[in-house]
Amino acid sequence: MSSSPVAGPVPTGPSSGSANGPSGQPAPDRHRGPGRSGRRVRPVPAHRPPAGSRRGPRRWIARYGTQYLAISPYYLIFSVFMLFPMLYTVYLAFQKWDGIGEMKFVGLDQFRFLWDDPVFWLSLRNTLVIWVLSTVPMLFMALVMAVLINSTRRLTAFYRVALFIPSITSLVAIAIFFGAIFSNNFGLINAVLKAMHLSAVPWLSNEWTIKLVIATLMTWQWTGYNAIIYLAGLQAIPSELYEAARMDGAGPTRMFFSITIPLLRPIILFTVVISTVTGLQSFTEPQVLFGSDASTNPNSGGPGRAGLTTLLYFYNQAFDYNDFGYAAAIVWAFFLLILLIVVINWRLVQGKERRP
Amino acid sequence: MDLSRRRFLQTAVLTAAAAGVTTACGGGSGKSGSKDSKDLKFWYWAGGLSDKVVADSKKHFSDVKLKTSVIGGDFKTKLLTGMKTAQTAPDITGIKGEDIASFLPNANRFLDLNSLGMDKLAPEYLSWKLKQATTQDGKVIGFPIDIGPCAVYYREDIFDQAGLPTDPAKVSAQLSTWDAYFDAGVELHKKVPKSFLINNIGAVFSMAVGQGTQRFIDEDNKFIGDQDHIRTAWTTAVKPYTLDIDAKINDNTWNAAISKGTVATGLGAAWYALDIQNAAPGTKGKWRVASLPSGPSNLGGSFLCLPATCANPELAFEVVKWILSPENQARGFADAALFPTSPAAYKLPELTGGDAFFGGQKTIDIFGPAAEKIPAAYEAPADAAVSAPYYSELTAIEAKGKDPEAAWKDAVSQAKQIAQRQGVK
Repeated sequence: MSSSPVAGPVPTGPSSGSANGPSGQPAPDRHRGPGRSGRRVRPVPAHRPPAGSRRGPRRWIARYGTQYLAISPYYLIFSVFMLFPMLYTVYLAFQKWDGIGEMKFVGLDQFRFLWDDPVFWLSLRNTLVIWVLSTVPMLFMALVMAVLINSTRRLTAFYRVALFIPSITSLVAIAIFFGAIFSNNFGLINAVLKAMHLSAVPWLSNEWTIKLVIATLMTWQWTGYNAIIYLAGLQAIPSELYEAARMDGAGPTRMFFSITIPLLRPIILFTVVISTVTGLQSFTEPQVLFGSDASTNPNSGGPGRAGLTTLLYFYNQAFDYNDFGYAAAIVWAFFLLILLIVVINWRLVQGKERRP
Repeated sequence: MDLSRRRFLQTAVLTAAAAGVTTACGGGSGKSGSKDSKDLKFWYWAGGLSDKVVADSKKHFSDVKLKTSVIGGDFKTKLLTGMKTAQTAPDITGIKGEDIASFLPNANRFLDLNSLGMDKLAPEYLSWKLKQATTQDGKVIGFPIDIGPCAVYYREDIFDQAGLPTDPAKVSAQLSTWDAYFDAGVELHKKVPKSFLINNIGAVFSMAVGQGTQRFIDEDNKFIGDQDHIRTAWTTAVKPYTLDIDAKINDNTWNAAISKGTVATGLGAAWYALDIQNAAPGTKGKWRVASLPSGPSNLGGSFLCLPATCANPELAFEVVKWILSPENQARGFADAALFPTSPAAYKLPELTGGDAFFGGQKTIDIFGPAAEKIPAAYEAPADAAVSAPYYSELTAIEAKGKDPEAAWKDAVSQAKQIAQRQGVK
């Protein structure tokens, strides 16, 4: 999450740099290649071909070795801890494995089970509902907050720090805190409701309020983060536009919808994509809120499985019931779903960028 | 500049390579010797053993270098990962009661304790508990640490307010069946409206299933979760919900509920006492323990196992045997509420003394007889996975008022599907 805003807005930087390097440099090597094979026919100039053939790669290493060595830790760690496990889950999805015994090839059985598993479909529904419930208000509130902060001149540093703090707070701590606030019998909110002579709401046992609590938690954590991104975008909008609009008699609402929103569109789309990817991967929130350490039926996502997100279901199958093959199938099916949603997002981006 | 950079690179590469070689060698030499190492790695989790007994074992076996690690987080997952290679695997490890069945299909990854002398010790330990760690061909992979004989924990003061008996013997006599227990709950809730009988119906279900000799899968690896014994347990569990004496607590507010008297009784194993004491220290002296309605049941209780890669099986077994001797088990009960697996320990002063938290009640009078009468049920490796939908559907009844009959049908059909996925017939 933290690296994505950097990678997002400046995709051309690193890619253009690396494209120049290889394409510019191996060209002379390629010329030397056929020449070398031609020379091999003539045995006379014996000192040149071995020197030349060795000097090529050696010089290449001397020239670029350091750079590649410097970036290699990232790629090594990425390959060992990300790429390999990812590819391994593809393999696992076709096996039956309990994590310690022998693997058994089962073909497409795991995917067939997945198709027939009502709990998997329930987890997908839960994930999508929680995602919509959190992302829509989150991005809207972030935008409003960013505009408000952009218009003040006092305490701006404080506001920015305050907005950013939730996103760097431990998610587990937040979840425990929210659990206490929304607790059915002894929570702060229900205490306030009772004090106002209203009836208490069973936040953590009703099918819908469970999703609402999880979504509220996610909204609280990421609104400030998105507001900071919007704030950066707002400051790039030239103030002359607002001045001109004011001269023409536009009010703040009109300016917001006619200047701010259109000019912020690329940034809004960026945050939509990022919140899609992170919002669909909700896992810790329901895991901490609903008895993850119970000895019977752990990680089941709370009463009626209302908080069972797909990733929690994956975790439950892999690490509680050690059905690693099935868990791999779940996570790949889920990957396809995220990919689909991202492609839809991407198409929306393209469609909107072509129009003007 | 160029040269120094090259030298720097060479040094860096050489250092990295050297480091790699050393670790490879270091790892290899640790276990390459014969099986008589004096270094033993010992894994357990916080509260899994008495820390005092473990500390004493280091003094008692002064020639052994016992390296104990208290593993936090998901113990089973870390053990599965650790056992991938001989270098990282522990020589002695704890396995939780709910996980032992899932390790039995891979019994070859553990030493058969019978070959180390467990068969001679077996009569001193509870046979039904040993059976949980015994494969169908008779190998024993786990030395039982503790058990979880279950009982009804009740608030004496609330029972008194409701006009119910308060003396443990009388309560045990009156609440001898589930129906009598629920009747008392209705009476109690009528007199003390803020108090419910139980915290959730899943607890009743787990007790009722544990009272039988069969669970969800039988010894022939056949799914029996749709049969009468499970159906009866289900019907029993749903009753308090229909009688409205269920507090429906499925989140982490249990602590508050216990300390405020929202639940007047709790169904739990011997170690549940510790949970109550931690959650509600202010209720000291108000709790009592009575027998579980309709017969004894067990919940949890762990094992110590020796992975097949153990560096010194004889010595490791000696260590385990010493830590889990009846005398040390009694100390474990006093120190960490681990209920002994050896009936000989039940007569020792650590267990026969009164407990101030329970108003001086001698709780062994309830737990001791229960422990020896717990039915021996076959627990299949996939049992926990197959039982999951029953608990989820019970919470669905509580959370959204799902029709119990529809919930039963959904639970059975999901359990059947999981059984099929897990290779059960």
